[in-house]
Amino acid sequence: MDAIYAQGLSKLYGEAVAIEDLDLRIGEGEVYAYLGPNGAGKTTTIRLLLGLHRPTAGRAQLFGVDAWSDPVAAHRRIAYVAGEPSLWPSLTSGETLEFLARLHGGTDMAYRDLLVDRFELDVRKKVRALSKGNRQKVQLIAALATRADLLILDEPTSGLDPLMEMAFRECALEAKARGQTIFLSSHILSEVEALCDRVGILRGGRLVDQGTLAQLRHLRAQTVDVTFAGPAPKLPTLRGVHMHTTAPNALRFEVTGGVGPVIAVLAGHPVATLTSREPSLEEIFVRHYRDSGGVTLNESAAD
Amino acid sequence: MKARPTKTTRPGSGSAAAQVLARKNNVVVALALRAFRDAQIRTVAFGYLFAVFSYIQPVGYRHTYPTRGDRLAFARSFAENTGLRLMYGQPNDIVTVGGYTAWRVGGVLAIVAAAFGLFAAVRALRAEEDSGRTEIVLAAMVGRRAAAIAALAAIAAGALLLWLAEFAGFLVGGLPTPGAAYLALATASVAPVFVGVGALASQLAPTRRGALGVGGAVLGLLFTLRVVADTVPGAGWLRWSTPLGWAELLHPFAGPQPLVLVLPAGATVLLLVVSTSLAAQRDIGTGMWPAHDSADPHPRLLRTPAGHALRNQRGTLISWIIAVGVLMFVLGGVSQAISPADIPANTRTEIAKLGAGSITTPIGYFAFVFLFVSVAVSAFACAQIGAARQEEADQQLETLLAEPISRTRWLSGRMLLAAAGVAALSLTAGLLGWAGARVAGAPIALFKMLEAGANAIPIALLFLGLTALAYALAPRASGVIGYALLAVALLWHVAGSLIGPPRWILDLTPFAHVGLVPAHPVHIAGSAVVTGIALLAGVAALAAFRRRDLAAG
Repeated sequence: MDAIYAQGLSKLYGEAVAIEDLDLRIGEGEVYAYLGPNGAGKTTTIRLLLGLHRPTAGRAQLFGVDAWSDPVAAHRRIAYVAGEPSLWPSLTSGETLEFLARLHGGTDMAYRDLLVDRFELDVRKKVRALSKGNRQKVQLIAALATRADLLILDEPTSGLDPLMEMAFRECALEAKARGQTIFLSSHILSEVEALCDRVGILRGGRLVDQGTLAQLRHLRAQTVDVTFAGPAPKLPTLRGVHMHTTAPNALRFEVTGGVGPVIAVLAGHPVATLTSREPSLEEIFVRHYRDSGGVTLNESAAD
Repeated sequence: MKARPTKTTRPGSGSAAAQVLARKNNVVVALALRAFRDAQIRTVAFGYLFAVFSYIQPVGYRHTYPTRGDRLAFARSFAENTGLRLMYGQPNDIVTVGGYTAWRVGGVLAIVAAAFGLFAAVRALRAEEDSGRTEIVLAAMVGRRAAAIAALAAIAAGALLLWLAEFAGFLVGGLPTPGAAYLALATASVAPVFVGVGALASQLAPTRRGALGVGGAVLGLLFTLRVVADTVPGAGWLRWSTPLGWAELLHPFAGPQPLVLVLPAGATVLLLVVSTSLAAQRDIGTGMWPAHDSADPHPRLLRTPAGHALRNQRGTLISWIIAVGVLMFVLGGVSQAISPADIPANTRTEIAKLGAGSITTPIGYFAFVFLFVSVAVSAFACAQIGAARQEEADQQLETLLAEPISRTRWLSGRMLLAAAGVAALSLTAGLLGWAGARVAGAPIALFKMLEAGANAIPIALLFLGLTALAYALAPRASGVIGYALLAVALLWHVAGSLIGPPRWILDLTPFAHVGLVPAHPVHIAGSAVVTGIALLAGVAALAAFRRRDLAAG
């Protein structure tokens, strides 16, 4: 059974399209990163998955339970960290943890105390006196301590300092090792690279790309940087290769597919150095965020 | 507001200094406009209330007492009626339309104006800071003084609008222009003083709630002083001690004393000077009183959503209970001064038309008082739904409903909590009214008073249900809708009976159906129907809330 299953999920706010015809299948135990520029519809998707907003069309299920029509059953196996850490200002952080644990049920109290230590949270402080990062910690601890089968995390590390971000990463890896599913919306690409099995990229309410990191990389252009002993030579244009001059004696090739044709045309020229690298996650995103669409992976490749 | 020391301009730097000054003024104007727009809906709602209330009274009076004879008889019966004095204040020259209007409108609207000033000041000077918005403004090359001046200018514009609304209401109602302007000024003069009170409270308390609590307590105290001044023989001098009394001492339409205006003006300036100098000393985001940012855990109530709501609303509920209790104790205490002596029978019927039965006996007076209790308790119910809405707007509800908690469970818990609060308040009103009467030596059966208190419950439940339904259907507008329904129903009831439309029109308000307890027996059927409608509205609210998107902000 899929932890998250969405089919033809769409949401309109009045005339504005927030999410259009979204299909998602996230298996149990998978760590899925949900990426996209601001306003792409990430939080809307999460609200639909949680049954907080009603889909205009399509459906969303958590562990086979419909999120809109039976939210209580759907929420038993999940924990959620909201993007905006707005908690009740008059409760202390300890009381907030207690309250959320009560509501959820089945919280591992020993693990929670461990998390409080690990995240260095002052449980006596009232929420209204906490900084954004500290409020975020309260939410994270409450969610992680449930050991829920599915963690839905909306930018969980926004506001955390680097040390706490590391603590979060460790906890998330532990959860992953225990077989918990994680749905992570994030802008921190190193976090995504470290944690996630699969990535989905959302743009303008549509899923424009999806796959494992390796798959995303393979279908993207590799970058080949070449420097020459003399001035850069004039080379013929090649199919599937974008070439530009980076210095008087250097060229950069963005290659889709194999690098063979590039090597072939370079033969006979005074090549001094040649480096080739796969695109970084950042480059993939920047391209996706900027361009309209692009090559889309086969859905079956991800299964 | 203290004037800034004049800037010394060196020769040659004149135009630069002028530019700086101009830029500064632009900033102040921009901030003031922003603040005014934020308060727009509230200002319009208050203005509407001022205009309608001040229009209805002179018109109703002319309709009910067309001849001088009617008015003299009315004056004799009313002038010494303690119950009415308590609500409306000291009557002066009520045989004229102007004098009567001043009496009926002045006392009530003065309290409303005080509430307006208090809310507006706390909103601008504490809630903005509480939310962190002030920090953003102050980070943008705006001085604290300029920000405060802008906020106060926006409130002043709002108060001016209230004055205009009241003035216009009187004019359309047929009062002479200078008198109408002066009467409206007397009422509106209360607002700036309470702006000062709110400003000072905002400097002392570190939270919005705390500031409103302090300001509300001051308002309660000053109102009580006015009540004592107007009802206890020989205590009239106490009028000088309260801004609500100053509004009476201005004597609109009965030998005006405009010099008294020095008092509210002086008090306002003093309060604002003190609070701006305090504001200049303290850190942004704090109050003069320390904030308790750490606390031992008290998780006892934090087991269910309803328990959590109770914990969050506990302070509010306790303040309401204390306020209603103290007021009812005082009102009960003066009930012994009410006697039916010397009132002609035909006047009695006219009085009965006022919408609360015969106010000329202690028991009739209590029926009148409990009409207002039911209004206050209904307002409490509206405020409880408002608090639930706030939890949604601040997105805390999102976190809560992501747990395995159904929306129905959450909202029904909030409604039950509000209903329990309504019951507690209503019975407190009955109990403390009884205690006050007993202490003053005018015993009335405890059971009767508790019954009168309980009689307020169906009405409050009705407004609770209707506000909840409005919340479920149109969350962003629900606050205004709830209070507006309540205000319209009350005006309809009180003013409608004065003007005398056909019975079925009067019957459209719920107040017409529950019986004027303790003067009359409880209308069991009417109360049951009102409660039934309340339940239906509540169920409809739950069903509608289940179907909509959560709405943040």
